Amino acid sequence: MEPIYVVLIIILIIWIGIFGYMFYIDREVTKISKRIKKLETSGNQN
Amino acid sequence: MSKIWQIGLFIWLTLVCIAAFLWAPLAEGLGEYTRILYFHVPVAWVTVLAFLIGAIYSIVYLKTRKIVYDHIAESAGQLGIIYCVLATVTGSVWAKVSWGSFWNWDPRETSIFILLLIYAAYFALRSAIEQEDRKAVLSSVYSIFAFVTVPFFVFIVPRVYSSLHPDPIINTQAKINMDGKMLTTFLSSLFGFTVFFFWIFKRKIDLVKMKLTLRKMEN
Repeated sequence: MEPIYVVLIIILIIWIGIFGYMFYIDREVTKISKRIKKLETSGNQN
Repeated sequence: MSKIWQIGLFIWLTLVCIAAFLWAPLAEGLGEYTRILYFHVPVAWVTVLAFLIGAIYSIVYLKTRKIVYDHIAESAGQLGIIYCVLATVTGSVWAKVSWGSFWNWDPRETSIFILLLIYAAYFALRSAIEQEDRKAVLSSVYSIFAFVTVPFFVFIVPRVYSSLHPDPIINTQAKINMDGKMLTTFLSSLFGFTVFFFWIFKRKIDLVKMKLTLRKMEN
């Protein structure tokens, strides 16, 4: 394999790993903030 | 992190990528593989940083006994593991093309593998204990002892034993032998990756705090 492709594969693995994990965290944050808001509104109604 | 910082970081990392491919010269003996240096090494550096932060928060937990610090230490450990796996995988791909096989039990590979095992044991320990306070105390103590091994495996072992791995950036004479343009690109990359790590880490801290708030509300 041409060395430049190896370089590109390695850089791609790094960026996919970092961004993939970052998006996972973002999704978790959104999910939990929605649950907190839901609990807050149900608490206010009671 | 404010929008300006996010855009600034994006531009910075884009410039690092451009510099790595178009501006920095190639090192003798490494050829095109020189470019890997600007990404693989910062990832390994961030691994050390994450484990250091994990150990610091473990100390803070042991001093204050506030559970949030234990969760933050855990988050740093998780980030450290992610970066460590990335450094190992990318190093392994590099090893395949340079040395002929993905894994050679080279001192550098062996030491990062042991480091992965040590931190995998940290998470095994956490999942094995149900009582929260006990889990926090034991894993904090473990995290501090685990970090003691990090400088040994990352900085000392590869310099003591002869290795197929390219020379460390800071050589055994504690000097940096690198072309000016390469050094600028490398340090810029190191800075960019470090800031990026702190951004993700801040998001992790937000997540930890939100999880604790949610738990309080549900109880």
